[in-house]
Amino acid sequence: MQTLKGTRLAIFLGLFPALLIYLGIAIVPIGLSLYFSFTNWDGISAMKFIGFDNFVKILSDDTFWLTVKNNLIIMVTGLIGQIPLGLVLALLLNRGLKGSGFFRTVGFMPVVISSVMVSLIWGMVYNTEYGMLNNLLGMIGLDSWKMNWLGDTRTSMLAISIAYIWQNCGLYMVIFLAALQNIPDEVNEAAELDGATGLKRTWRITIPMIKGTIMVNVVYSISNSFRVFDLIQILTGGGPAHQTEVMTLYMYNSAFLNMRYGYGSAVSILILLFSLIVITFVNRINREKDA
Amino acid sequence: MKRHSRLFQLFAYTFLSLFAIINIVPLFWMVVNSFKKEQEYAADPFSFPKALQFSNYAKAWEVANMDVYFLNSIIITFASLIITVLLGALAAYFLSRFKFKLRGTTYSLFLLGMLVPIHATLIPIFLIMQKLHLLDTYWSLILPYTAFHLSLTIFILEGFMRSFPKDLEESGVVDGAGVYRIFWSIILPITRPALATVIILNFIYNWNEYLFALVLITSTELKTLPLGLSNFAGIETASLTLQMAALTIALIPILIFYLLLQKQLVNGMTAGAVKG
Repeated sequence: MQTLKGTRLAIFLGLFPALLIYLGIAIVPIGLSLYFSFTNWDGISAMKFIGFDNFVKILSDDTFWLTVKNNLIIMVTGLIGQIPLGLVLALLLNRGLKGSGFFRTVGFMPVVISSVMVSLIWGMVYNTEYGMLNNLLGMIGLDSWKMNWLGDTRTSMLAISIAYIWQNCGLYMVIFLAALQNIPDEVNEAAELDGATGLKRTWRITIPMIKGTIMVNVVYSISNSFRVFDLIQILTGGGPAHQTEVMTLYMYNSAFLNMRYGYGSAVSILILLFSLIVITFVNRINREKDA
Repeated sequence: MKRHSRLFQLFAYTFLSLFAIINIVPLFWMVVNSFKKEQEYAADPFSFPKALQFSNYAKAWEVANMDVYFLNSIIITFASLIITVLLGALAAYFLSRFKFKLRGTTYSLFLLGMLVPIHATLIPIFLIMQKLHLLDTYWSLILPYTAFHLSLTIFILEGFMRSFPKDLEESGVVDGAGVYRIFWSIILPITRPALATVIILNFIYNWNEYLFALVLITSTELKTLPLGLSNFAGIETASLTLQMAALTIALIPILIFYLLLQKQLVNGMTAGAVKG
């Protein structure tokens, strides 16, 4: 395209600052994480290479497996909560009903608010004595249903899951909506001529047409579920007694509260590994179904 | 065009209204109660305030250091945003308008960043910042915010710049302008729509970020709004109305921002999600 003299230097100078910051802060640290994961290091004394010891210790820690379980709960919440809800909302909003714009605006609003604010607001909703939920239950005469939602292990993960759905389902809704709006009108008209209407048309024609988007959302929701941190750190801090702790929080606590950088790095590598495995698995299933 | 049966309409509106209520009520409830006295709130969390207690707001602003947090958030958000968009636009310009060895590799390398989970880099970044003596400074956040948003920024801008016709720069070349001059006075101005998108996206992501701030910032004078709010809530557990006032103060600007720029925000975040 351009064959100006001295362009090579210009190209190098143009790309260099971006590459430097990007590689130095976003890419090199992944390699470092991997390296640290084989060491025992508190940040002060000398770093000691210990092979796979960290991984052995992590995998034999019951608390770690508890966090894995909680991550799975969050993942399933995303898959059976956020995605179907987002899809149903998008299907309804795609029907050209009056007021659709309003519902879309309100639906996407939680996505724009910071997760810190979402967590603090839900903390107030769940507050045992003065919270919205318990007071609402009291008002309609269901005093016996009042709970310490976040403090009681029977309800704490459920309470977190509901806040998690609330926070994100708007994002899936608008992604589905964009896909639905891309379906050509002819498809719908042809379907109508064939007598496919209502639910039947949705199930037989609309859903298959946006299968690709459904897969994108599934993968996105899974990888998001492994990244969840803010919501739980603020709502419960992982408590009571690790019952709501997730892997990222376990990593954070090991590294920044207990100063075990090697151990924490090993956890972060495991999180990366687990999410890769799940996503590869989902992609494989999807490809087999297509074949 | 489309006609819907009564039954469908009834179902659709009931479902959508329920959804809207669940989305709005927690926020509305918070805003209403933020105007109450603490005792008034404790007595009945569902009544409207007898008199508007603006004193909650004055006190929250004072006690929660809102002015400091707002200022820090503004400085860090905009510094990161400007650096990201400038460096990103420059990189996108060379990646989209020039042919050179390693062009494809460099581009793919940048895109890889959209898949990198932040938590996998957190410990090394903390240790790097410590080594560079940048821990607990504005730079400790500006650098990661820039690094992690360059990918999406370059992805969006490169795609946009690539679509320009090939002879666009010719007039500049004829005038003897250098490649940087062409970037600044020909390419950048017509990239404006895509620039708007990446600016809005960078703004909202930086403004809301919590995890890096939690790990890299410790002094109160440097805390950003999300970090400051979460600390404040942890300390002021006794006074929910005060917390509500602080949260409302933080909520209002972001709601206005959202309502004004809704279309670009929704489109941008959707694109970001799908590509990431």
